[in-house]
Amino acid sequence: MNNNVLEIENLSRTYMLGKQSINALINLNMHVSKGEFIAIMGPSGSGKSTLLNVIGCIDKPTSGKICLDDIDVTNTPESKLYKIRRNKMGFVFQSFNLLSYLSARENVELPMEGKIKDKTERRKKASELLRLVGLLDRENHRPQKLSQGEQQRVAIARALANDPAIILADEPTGNLDSKNKQEIIKLLANLNLTRGTTIIMVTHDIQVANNTERVLLLKDGNIIKEKEGLHLAKKQNMCPHCKGSIKIYDETCPICNKKLYEIEEFFTI
Amino acid sequence: MGIINRAIKNISKRKIRALLVIVALSISLSIMVSIPAGLMANQKSTNSMAENLSSTITDTSESINQALNQIDVYMSSRYAGFGFNYGDTPPSPQSGDRIIGGNNGNNNDGNPGRYGGFGEGNIPGQFGGINDGATPMNQSLYMDIAEISGVAATVAELEVSQGSKNQTTSMMGQTFTTQITDYTIIGVELKSEFTSNSNYNSLPTNIVNGRNLQADDTGVVLLSQNNSAFFEAGIGDIITILDHEFAIIGIYQPTTALEELVLYMNLSDAQHITENAGYITTLKVYTTSSDSVDFVVAKIRELHSELTVTTGQQRLNQLETLQSTYSDVLENTQSSLAATQATAIQEIIVVVAATSLIVLFVMLYTVRERTKEIGTLKAIGFSNRAVMGQFLLEGLCLSTIAGIIGIVIAIFAAPTFSALLLPSVSSTLGMNAMVAGGTRVSMASVSISVELALFAFGASMLLGVVGTLYPAWRAAKIRPAEAMRYE
Ligand SMILES: Nc1ncnc2c1ncn2[C@@H]1O[C@H](COP(=O)(O)OP(=O)(O)O)[C@@H](O)[C@H]1O
Ligand SMILES: [Mg+2]
Repeated sequence: MNNNVLEIENLSRTYMLGKQSINALINLNMHVSKGEFIAIMGPSGSGKSTLLNVIGCIDKPTSGKICLDDIDVTNTPESKLYKIRRNKMGFVFQSFNLLSYLSARENVELPMEGKIKDKTERRKKASELLRLVGLLDRENHRPQKLSQGEQQRVAIARALANDPAIILADEPTGNLDSKNKQEIIKLLANLNLTRGTTIIMVTHDIQVANNTERVLLLKDGNIIKEKEGLHLAKKQNMCPHCKGSIKIYDETCPICNKKLYEIEEFFTI
Repeated sequence: MGIINRAIKNISKRKIRALLVIVALSISLSIMVSIPAGLMANQKSTNSMAENLSSTITDTSESINQALNQIDVYMSSRYAGFGFNYGDTPPSPQSGDRIIGGNNGNNNDGNPGRYGGFGEGNIPGQFGGINDGATPMNQSLYMDIAEISGVAATVAELEVSQGSKNQTTSMMGQTFTTQITDYTIIGVELKSEFTSNSNYNSLPTNIVNGRNLQADDTGVVLLSQNNSAFFEAGIGDIITILDHEFAIIGIYQPTTALEELVLYMNLSDAQHITENAGYITTLKVYTTSSDSVDFVVAKIRELHSELTVTTGQQRLNQLETLQSTYSDVLENTQSSLAATQATAIQEIIVVVAATSLIVLFVMLYTVRERTKEIGTLKAIGFSNRAVMGQFLLEGLCLSTIAGIIGIVIAIFAAPTFSALLLPSVSSTLGMNAMVAGGTRVSMASVSISVELALFAFGASMLLGVVGTLYPAWRAAKIRPAEAMRYE
């Protein structure tokens, strides 16, 4: 028994396109402990989405081993995988993927349907989650009536529906303007801080990545670099340089004036 | 919220498509129900025809047998056949320039002429009860018949049909205009020796109300129950016939369908109101015994070669011929019914296949269109079964709505659909009914019974599910990673 919510060993995923094989992931090793907030970066086609899909049990590895909460799910048959997705995973998509014909609250209720039999309980929980993401007053609105940032917040509430072990977010801010981007990253950081939710997020955005705890750089199907983000320091609202008080998403420390993002070179490969 | 709610929301989200499916499905369904409904109606009509053929023959032969000493004498040669009553509204031909026209053959006296049939030279396409050749004859010229030895009595009759409405009937691509007979007047010579002797059966015997006509009755009528309903009048009431008032003296129960429209009155009253003073259409001659029939017939022919004479025996022979024609007609009808049944089964198969295909393609399209949604549902934890159930339910909802609408359409359009799809039966029935004129063939109306409606409803739901099975299975097979695809 350890504190790791996710353990990946020698994971490979090879796609077959006719006779041509594409190695999306090669011998990848990765450990995520409970409550971590992780960003995965990397150039396009480096295997980020593939990795997230394999972790989320919506894709199967070609070889290697994957453990969730100490349970080896590598060989779990498809007929049981849906329960793992439902109970342990929360997906947040780049394009929100809300059902347009359902209200915000109904969208949040969706994952609970197979799990919580009582309708009113589902309803109550969905409303609570919408309050958590600040959208309680919009619970009866359809997605089209909401801004993009609001839609993504509904999607995050939906991801939280079954109290998942891990939230998997594939470029959750990829479709958002900078104001909405900040709101979402703040929301995710807050969820991680206040509820201890483990989050693995794929992003292209350095500022977004820097607000996490740990940043992994993926290239050609493998993790080639790893760096601490500012999230830990920010957890204490503290500048990592002068220990002065900072706010989340501050670009520079208001006290020592030092840049809070200093990892640009890390990503310029 | 739940699976049903989502199904309904999804359907209403794509209104035009849902509408198209529902329209297509409901029309197919209504056709599907109309075919068995039509078959049933045709079966019913055939049965009723068979029943009536046999009861007419029985009734007629009975009455002929009771009157073997009766000879009918009338002018001109007429085809001896039976009138045909079409359903509940028996048409009778336009009677041309003469008041004395076709009668619907509603006398149980067994007179073949009376029974109409296809009169000579009638307008093509007219059917039923045609007695166009009935020529009125001057009663005074035939007084000598009563003097022939062996003759017990003669009773003169005048028969005139009255119709007020025209009816247009379409059959086998032809349109027939016929006049519906409201009632047929038979004026009977009311002699005391005749009215008091039950051997002379010129008047109905089954009086249900009031009394029968008696000698010297005038200004009174004896109505059939059907007449009574037509005039909306009962015993003691005064009714107007051809601008003359008559009191209703009695009501009788008709023994055959042929008799239903006949009202009886004194011959002189009938001659007066129809402006046929001195004229009759038939002279009934009763012999003292059946042995003297041959002699009397020969004598009548000798005296009046222009007259047609039929005896009870001749009528019986004619009846036998008719009987064999009838069994041919029945056989013919039944075999055509069987053939139609086979066609109907093929048609139903085609409709079922078409309906399932409609559902199949629409649902397949819907599944394709919603790939991302399905991927999302699976990524957030929906099982294959839940996804499949969602689509099956949508198919079921569509087909349930279509089923209800289809049944409603069928209730109104079943006669049209079944006439279009089962043409041979209605025409065969119509034709056969014509050949078998004189029987009352109720063309049973094509109607949707509760059982049939329930069956159709079940069938539509089954079709909805069957048509959706494959698309739903395809939906269940969609990989959840599809949800990640950004459009
Ligand atoms: N379903 C697939 N079939 C074949 N090749 C795929 C499939 N999905 C991804 N790939 C390939 O695998 C590699 C990694 O893709 P992906 O994980 O989507 O990268 P990223 O998300 O980092 O852009 C790419 O070369 C891509 O073309
Ligand atoms: Mg990607």
